[in-house]
Amino acid sequence: MNIEIKNLSKSFGEISVLKNISMNIKNNKSTIILGKSGCGKSVLLKIIYQMINSDEGEISYGGKKNIDIDIFGMLFQYGALFDSLTVAQNIAFIDHINGINNYQKKVLSSMNDVGLHSVNYDKFPSEISGGMKKRVALARAIYKNPKVIFLDEPTTGLDPINSDMINELILRIIKKKKMTAITITHDIQSALKTGDEFFFIDEGIVECYGNCNEMLKIKNYKLNEFLAGVKKLQKTK
Amino acid sequence: MDLIEKIGKIFFYLISSIGKIIHFIFFFFKYAIKPKFYLKNNLKYFVDIFVSSIPIIALTGFFSGMVLALQSYTGFSRFSAESAIPNIVVLTLTRELGPVLTALMISARVGSSIAAEIATMRVTEQIDALKTLNTNFYNYLVTPRVLSLTLALPIFVTLVDFIGVMGGYIVSVFRLGFNENIYLINTINFLSFADYFSGIVKAIIFGFIIAIVSCYNGLYSDKGSFGVGTATTNAVVTSSILILIFNYILTELFF
Repeated sequence: MNIEIKNLSKSFGEISVLKNISMNIKNNKSTIILGKSGCGKSVLLKIIYQMINSDEGEISYGGKKNIDIDIFGMLFQYGALFDSLTVAQNIAFIDHINGINNYQKKVLSSMNDVGLHSVNYDKFPSEISGGMKKRVALARAIYKNPKVIFLDEPTTGLDPINSDMINELILRIIKKKKMTAITITHDIQSALKTGDEFFFIDEGIVECYGNCNEMLKIKNYKLNEFLAGVKKLQKTK
Repeated sequence: MDLIEKIGKIFFYLISSIGKIIHFIFFFFKYAIKPKFYLKNNLKYFVDIFVSSIPIIALTGFFSGMVLALQSYTGFSRFSAESAIPNIVVLTLTRELGPVLTALMISARVGSSIAAEIATMRVTEQIDALKTLNTNFYNYLVTPRVLSLTLALPIFVTLVDFIGVMGGYIVSVFRLGFNENIYLINTINFLSFADYFSGIVKAIIFGFIIAIVSCYNGLYSDKGSFGVGTATTNAVVTSSILILIFNYILTELFF
């Protein structure tokens, strides 16, 4: 599904977060939205997901202005798993709360897709590691077989090995299930590995965009400054 | 100028808070009347509240009844009216102490936990996750809590009334030397349905206040652990104050 965003603006009080954003998110492609913390990436993601409304502008989902969000799935930055529910109940949340109990097979299939062992089926989120929580959250995001998956900082809080593993997993799942993926991140490695196209946002404006494999060659002062900052930080670490 | 500005800010804050609460209550009724009713979730919550609150409620009733009997004796014995103790114990418990003490204890026991749980869910993006899973948080979080507390509080108050009367009976019979049969007969004969009913109406309204205030504070909490703490404190303090204010208003109505 193509998602076309035209002249989108959003303010909170006197603070203008998004200013006249336009972008085209292509069907079955993995699009990365890059930018510093606080540049408006998360707000943009929530507007596209229809969780909040924009002040101006419009979004077209495959030609339609309004769409049932059942075709979307979302992986949150820190998983956002429900503490009082088991891994299985988290993954099959919609079925679980609607009293549909025969979800075991579907849950196990989702767990298998994200490389989670069935031993974790009845565990609570507090009983599993950070990396596993991310996998459970990913399994929940793909449980409904969404057409579009939103990934909010998928590698945040993970060590380099787990980050790499999650990136591999995301790549494999979006290719296998032929999903359109929208990822917001400031992790360049993750962007280069999982993305087809990117949009770089700075202070609520799309500064530049292009193919991910050309990102490092693009001459744009703000993007280059951002990439240099990330590299410097990685060296310091 | 600074003072006027500060007063203005406080005034606007109050107005906006009242507006938010009215908006919140409106949406609660909107979704409660036309619900997507998660029966299992509602029942589970009701049972959880019920089981976890019984011990604290029983203790409150028992000791209140005992203290009430002792204190009444101190006063009434000065003008030889000790025989009125059973009447005073049952009347004070059913009309006043039962609903108010139960509501204050439930506000501290359940209201604080509701506010902390929902505020934590907000901080950890679980509320956003509900939205992405096409689940209305009023139906999933607010309705079960409001309905459970509104229905559970009258049951708790009935229990406190009964246990409180028993506490008064034990102190009166075994400590103050009352005749056990006369004490019970006086209690039963003196109590009218209107006394019990006024306490139950109070309980229903207090239950609703605790649940709405706690859910509201949880949902509108600031981010971070400080936000969770503030939401919990605000929930208990606000609901306690509202319980006391509404207690007076309802007492005037039933006077």
